Amino acid sequence: MNPKIIYPIPDRQSTLYRNLRSVTRIVFILAAFVCLLVNILVKGKPWSLIVIWSLFCAWRLFFSLRLVEFSIFAHTVKITLYIVVLLYLIDRFLAPGWGETVIPIVLFGDLLIMLVVFLMTYDRKERHVVSITMLGLINLAMIPYSLHSWPITNWIAFAFLCASSVLFIVLLIINRKQLIHELKVRFNINTK
Amino acid sequence: MAKVNRNLKIEKLKGGLSEKECVKIDEFFSKLNETINLSLLNSTLLNEHFIDGFEYYLEKGKSIDQICKILDIKNLGTFYSENQNQYYSLDNAAIVYPLGMKFGQMPMFRLAVELKEEVEPSLLQLALDFTIKRFPTFSAVIKNGFFWHYLETTNYIPLVEKEKDIPCKPISLLMRTYRSFRVLYYKNRISVEYFHTITDGLGGMAFLKALLKEYLILKGKRISDDGTIININDEVKEEETANEFKKAKGAAALSTFVDKRSLQLDGKVSPFNLTRILHLEMDSRELKKVASSYNGTVTAYITALEFLAARAAIKKNNGIFNIEIPVNMRKFNGSKTLRNYSMYFNASMNLSALPESRKELVEEIGKQIKEKGDEKTMNQMMMTTGKVITSLSFVPLFLKVCLMQVVYGYLGNSIIGCTLSNLGVIDLPKGMKETVNKVFFVFPPGRPNRVTTSLATFNDRVIFTIIKNCHNQTFENELYRLLKEDGLEIECEGSVEYES
Repeated sequence: MNPKIIYPIPDRQSTLYRNLRSVTRIVFILAAFVCLLVNILVKGKPWSLIVIWSLFCAWRLFFSLRLVEFSIFAHTVKITLYIVVLLYLIDRFLAPGWGETVIPIVLFGDLLIMLVVFLMTYDRKERHVVSITMLGLINLAMIPYSLHSWPITNWIAFAFLCASSVLFIVLLIINRKQLIHELKVRFNINTK
Repeated sequence: MAKVNRNLKIEKLKGGLSEKECVKIDEFFSKLNETINLSLLNSTLLNEHFIDGFEYYLEKGKSIDQICKILDIKNLGTFYSENQNQYYSLDNAAIVYPLGMKFGQMPMFRLAVELKEEVEPSLLQLALDFTIKRFPTFSAVIKNGFFWHYLETTNYIPLVEKEKDIPCKPISLLMRTYRSFRVLYYKNRISVEYFHTITDGLGGMAFLKALLKEYLILKGKRISDDGTIININDEVKEEETANEFKKAKGAAALSTFVDKRSLQLDGKVSPFNLTRILHLEMDSRELKKVASSYNGTVTAYITALEFLAARAAIKKNNGIFNIEIPVNMRKFNGSKTLRNYSMYFNASMNLSALPESRKELVEEIGKQIKEKGDEKTMNQMMMTTGKVITSLSFVPLFLKVCLMQVVYGYLGNSIIGCTLSNLGVIDLPKGMKETVNKVFFVFPPGRPNRVTTSLATFNDRVIFTIIKNCHNQTFENELYRLLKEDGLEIECEGSVEYES
């Protein structure tokens, strides 16, 4: 059988990213396992948790991108959430005392940047409504956290969180129609 | 910057034309820009497509009046002027595809026509710009809901591309600007590759026919309207976007849904999901005659040969080999849906206990096709699918994805050794038939399968396509030998061996 070639001859296919992904997965799993084992054996602070979370974040952010509906906006929100958890873990298990101030600042800064991007890409806002809502809700949820040591409250954090929450709520009110439509669609249960 | 470039191109277009003609061009483009309401990038792209169209026709010696008539802006409808945010739930067959998707793997298929003359890309692009409005579910991007994926229409301009890569490569669904299909051209061939979520072979063929008709009209051909091709300027009909699975009647039966694991052909699966495409072209009347001589249909005959070829291509062949055969459900109720509306059944044989004579084998396969592919069994399967989907309705999407990543790879494709999809006879109206040489249907195997096959008949010629996903060539060589043995004249075309 000697077929007449009717398809273009493609460039040699690169397997670099594919191979890198496979190798990284093995290295990450191995590293996580070894860290956990060493941490259990030598005892002390649970630093391996931070290593494992960092490896997970790196994997999710660089090697396991969403296959459907990826957007830089949603990805940035995801990065923020991963960083917030990482900061919390460091603050809680390795070097306590600064998280209550730093985490709200990170959240506030991110929400502010996201709000600017959201308004700049207003014509395509339906893509971002859910992401920004998620970020805003986390922001709101952080308010009780910042008040947990009442009356010795971290007023800087509290102020940041309140300011960003007000911004977020104003935005929700302005875009309520869009948000309701978007949520209705996103929560459909396959009836249409 | 884009706007400046566009204006420069329009000015260039006017070079050598009379003042009156220049005014007409200006009027045309200002009318175009009044009609559309797109982002700057998309509006520029659409303008450029029309500029290319003008250039093509001017070169062909058409007058500006004639060009304005051919490229009538009415062909765009209101598609590019309205915000497109219509959404569609995925149909019951489509639902599984995005859930089971993994890095580098995507269920795609390609329908292609080989024309008698070389493709003119600028006209193909305009044909696509005109056609897409009539197919809202094709003009959609797939999005994540909280419980299910869904389709959302968009009026981003789809671009035709020159074919230069391996067929059916996964489409990046990362950005909103990407659709779930791509249109390619290569020499005389126009190909459309679809993500299986948006349509099946017959829906895809309806789109390709409409696109081809529009392309040929732009080329100046006269096409008779026999009502078999969707008119791109008609209103979208609800029945074309319907999820027909919801109309299934009868009792559910889990037995129709599960099967034993199938043997797989020998050979290492390629990381690119495709190693070679082979098109074996035969006279359809001859093929039918040979199939009849074994007391079977063409599908039963080819399936039987595939079992024999599989036996040769698997060293340890003591076990069940399943060949999946899709069933077009439209034939039972005359549905007009352009979305997925096919079910599947497996023709199963123990490779070490195949009947001695070929006639017995063909008859046995024919019996299985009749029993397993009847309306009642297919309806039972649809009901089962519907029940599974309903029961999973309130499970969050991310959990479904985790579940399907395990189930789809290990159960879904593992119960299949090969697929044979018969697209049937493709009919084209007068005026189109004369311009088309061949029709191709290509869909690569999903892992761990090593082969899929398809049949498409046009103009009394049948193209039997073998799509491989491993470098071991025993299966296709054996099939070729068996067909030759039955006295069939075969013309063979295909691709090179794709290697990493």
